[in-house]
Amino acid sequence: MSGGAILDVRHLKVDLATERGTLHAVRDISFSVEPGRTLCIVGESGCGKSMTSLAIMDLLPKSARRTAETLSFRGEDIGSPKVMGRLRGDRIAMIFQEPMTALNPAYTIGDQLCEAYRHHRKASAREAREKAIALLERVGIASAGDRLGQFPHQLSGGLRQRVMIAMALMCGPSLLIADEPTTALDVTIQAQILRLLAELQEELGIALVLITHDLGIVARIADDVAVMYAGQIVEQGKAGDIFGDPHHPYTRGLIDCIPQPGKTRPGERLGTIANTVPSLVGEMRGCAFRDRCPHARPVCAEDVPERRAGDHMWRCVLEALP
Amino acid sequence: MLRFATRRLALALLVALTVSAISFFLLRLSGDIAIALAGEGARDIDIEAIRAQYGLDRPLLFQYGEWLLQVLGGDLGTSLFFRTSVGALVLDKLPVTLILGISSLLFALLISIPLGVLAAIYRNTWIDRLALSIAVVGQALPNFFFALILVMIFSIGLRWLPVSGSGSWQNFVMPTIALGYYVAPAFMRLVRAGMVEVLSADYIRTARAKGLSRRSVIVKHALRNAVVPVVSLSAVQLGYLLGGSVVIETIFALDGLGFLAYESITQKDFPVTQAVVMLLSVFYVLLTFVGDLVNAWLDPRIRVA
Repeated sequence: MSGGAILDVRHLKVDLATERGTLHAVRDISFSVEPGRTLCIVGESGCGKSMTSLAIMDLLPKSARRTAETLSFRGEDIGSPKVMGRLRGDRIAMIFQEPMTALNPAYTIGDQLCEAYRHHRKASAREAREKAIALLERVGIASAGDRLGQFPHQLSGGLRQRVMIAMALMCGPSLLIADEPTTALDVTIQAQILRLLAELQEELGIALVLITHDLGIVARIADDVAVMYAGQIVEQGKAGDIFGDPHHPYTRGLIDCIPQPGKTRPGERLGTIANTVPSLVGEMRGCAFRDRCPHARPVCAEDVPERRAGDHMWRCVLEALP
Repeated sequence: MLRFATRRLALALLVALTVSAISFFLLRLSGDIAIALAGEGARDIDIEAIRAQYGLDRPLLFQYGEWLLQVLGGDLGTSLFFRTSVGALVLDKLPVTLILGISSLLFALLISIPLGVLAAIYRNTWIDRLALSIAVVGQALPNFFFALILVMIFSIGLRWLPVSGSGSWQNFVMPTIALGYYVAPAFMRLVRAGMVEVLSADYIRTARAKGLSRRSVIVKHALRNAVVPVVSLSAVQLGYLLGGSVVIETIFALDGLGFLAYESITQKDFPVTQAVVMLLSVFYVLLTFVGDLVNAWLDPRIRVA
C-alpha cells in the first residue's frame, strides 16, 4: 500500500504525559492512503485512533509528544510544522466529531466558511461567498445564500455537520480526515451524512481517512481498513479481505458484534468481547489483546509476529483463526 | 432584540428608583437637615422654624415623593453651602469625573487584555506568573497608597507631573494610572480565565485545522469569545470608577464629582450629596444596561434568545 500513496505514515508514536506516567496512546503504527481511496481506521474508544488523526494534522494537545520516521503527504514532509502550516486546511482538511461545538458561536456560517478560502487562496470576499454557496448547495443545504448569514446555534446538528463538510472542502483538499463524523448525529442523519461523504469522495477524487468505532460504517464505505487496538494496528488490508477473511481474533470479535441481515435470527445473542481495553500507561510486551482473546496461549506474552499475505497484514501468533 | 432591550431598561429604571429611595432615607437617617441648615449655635426655636419652612416636619415618605417629582422635573434643588443650583454645580464637575473614569477604564483594559491573553497562552510559565504578580500587587495595594507612590516618583522625584489640580491633561495621568491599575486585575483574571477555557474549545481546534494564522486563531476566534464577559464588567467597572474616584480625586485635588461628593459630605450639604449619589447610581445602572446590550450584540445566542 505505498508507491503512489498520497499520505504515508511510518512508525508513528504518540505519548501523553499523565499523572500516572507516560501514556503510549499510539504505539508505532504505519499505514498509507492512496489517492481517491477511503481508509477506515476502526477501533474502540481509547485505542488511539483520534490521536492518530490529530498527530497527522499536528493538532495534538500540548501534553502530547509525537515521533514518526515518516509523515509525508505527496512526498512533502508534513512532520515539519512549517510545511504542515501551509498544507493544513488547504490540501489536507479535517472534520470533527462534535458539530455542536466545532463551529465558533460568535461568527456566521458564511464568515467561517469563507475565511480559510480567503486565507489560503487570497480570494476576494465575493469569490469566497460564491464558492461557499456552491458548496453548501452541494452538501444538500437549501437556500444556501440565507444560511450564510446564520449563526451555528440556529442550525441543527445534521446541518452543522454538513456545514463542517462544506468548510473542509472549500479549498479543494486532496486528503480529508474525518474523525467520527457521524457519531454525534441521529441514526437517520448518520446515513445521509455518510452517503454524502462517500459521494463527494468519489466525485472529487479525494482520499478519505475515516476514523470510526462503527464497523457498520466501515462495511459501507471503506476501500481499505486498519483495525486499531491499544494504540497499535492489529490488522490491516482491503475491506473485502478484512470482512470476508479476518485473521485477528479482535477483528473477528468486532465483526461478530454486528447483526447480519438474513443470518442473525431474532432473539439470538450477538457476540461480545469480554473485559475492557488494557491500560495504555507504561510499556507493553506481547499481544495487547491476549487478556480478552478466546485463543490466547502463553506465547502471546512474547513478541508478536507481523504476518502478511499480499497487502493483508495482521499481528497474531496464529497464522489463521481456528 | 427590542423586547430584550425594553425589558432590561425597565429593570434598570426600577433599580435606579430603589437606589434613590434607599439613599434618600439613609441620608435622612445620618443627620438632621434642619440642624445643618440652622448652622452652629442655633436656638431650638429657629430649628423648628426652619423645619416648618422647608417642610421637614412632614412624613418622610411624603418628602421623598416631593423630591422625586422635583428631580424628574429636572430640579435637583439648591446647595446649602454654595447657594447655587445643584444641577449646575454637578454639570460643572461632571466632565472631569467622566474623563477620569473613561481614561482609567481604557488604561485598565489596555494593560489587562494583553496580559490576560499572554498569561492564558503561556499558562504555568514565568509569563503567567509575572502577570499574576502584577495583578496581585494591583489588588492588594490600596489605590490611595499607590497614588502616593506615584506622586513620590513622578512629581517629587522626577518632577515630570504636577501633584494636584485639574487644569491640563498632565493632571490626569497619575489619577488614571492609580485608578486604572486598581481595576485592571479583575479584567486580567477574567480575560485569562476566559482565554484558557476558550483555547481548549473545539472551535479553536477547527480554526487551527483550517490552517489559519496563529494570530487569527487567538485574536479572532478565541479573544472574541473570551471578551464577552469583559464587556459587561467594563460597564460595571466604569460605574465603579465614576463612584470610586472620590478618594483619587481628593488626593489629586481633581475638581470632579467625587471631590464634590467628599466636600458636600464634610459640609453637610445634603442636596448635593443626594444628587451626586443619585447621579452616580443612575450612571451605574445605565452602564450595566449598556453592558447587557453590548453583550447581546457580541453573543448572538443571547441576542436571539
